[in-house]
Amino acid sequence: MINETDDQKLHSGPVVAASLPLLLAFLTLMVSHHISRLTKELDNVVHSYGHWIPGSTGSGPTGSIGSYSGKETLALGVWLVSWLIFHLLWRKQDFPLQAWTRIFVIGLLIITLGFFHPLADPIVLFIADLVGAR
Amino acid sequence: MHTGEYIHDHFSKIVIRTQVAVALTLLLLLPAANFFYPTDYSMKAGIHGVSAILAIIIGTYLTHRSIPLIKGMHVRLESLRLWVLGATLLNLAGAISGNWIYMRYRGQEGPRDWILAHVPTFHNVLMEFKEFVSLFPFPLMLTATFTLYYYGMPIQHRRDITRFVGITILISWSFLILGFVAGLVLAKLRFV
Repeated sequence: MINETDDQKLHSGPVVAASLPLLLAFLTLMVSHHISRLTKELDNVVHSYGHWIPGSTGSGPTGSIGSYSGKETLALGVWLVSWLIFHLLWRKQDFPLQAWTRIFVIGLLIITLGFFHPLADPIVLFIADLVGAR
Repeated sequence: MHTGEYIHDHFSKIVIRTQVAVALTLLLLLPAANFFYPTDYSMKAGIHGVSAILAIIIGTYLTHRSIPLIKGMHVRLESLRLWVLGATLLNLAGAISGNWIYMRYRGQEGPRDWILAHVPTFHNVLMEFKEFVSLFPFPLMLTATFTLYYYGMPIQHRRDITRFVGITILISWSFLILGFVAGLVLAKLRFV
């Protein structure tokens, strides 16, 4: 049962504006994770973004989450800021959602594989050597 | 297209509800036992375990509710979005408590040290994967919640949007169960 008047009021923009930032945030998580593994200096840089999180520094038996806090902070920032911007830009726009759903799922799958070290590490090291980050 | 719902009779309702009650109680005992384990971190382990298994239970229930969404059938939206909101909060609790217990995991003579000394692959591959994909379910579920509340009732007329929400719930569950099983394997291997 389709109600044409209601249908016309709905825009698909906010759906894309809410979901594209997820890909960007997960990508940020992945990139910052691989960067932090290259050298101790790069790990410290990533870690410095997360110092506001309780338990981000320290040692001993209770431990700390270390540079994981910085990766989370960067991803959180990218997620929320890009969501806000995209939402303001696209709330009256329409996108082909069927195509976007496909891109979204495939994007998530690729990013997920990026966290699987046996698969991702050779690619990361290849890129790091190219840009001389190692 | 409007499709009627399958209505259970009295007997099947009793069977289903009894099964749910028994399974829920017994499954909850699995992580709740962590509170009584002989370790200084029993509180952290218990909270993370209980929030994780509750997220799994509600997430699994929601995968069933997401099927009519994907097929564009009529759904009870008010009830559905409350469940999705609940799942979002539980996933957030799982992520925060996960951060909390992760500190001890990385602590001196903690599970990480032990695993690296005995079976390093479980940390280098499994944990390094788990710690990140476990962060995915909360924002995915929040996106589903946002969409259901943002559009409200008229969402039922947009099959493409309900389909996206249904698929997002299924994906959220997939990452949840990946993280959950990996977490169980690691906790079994070396408890905090």
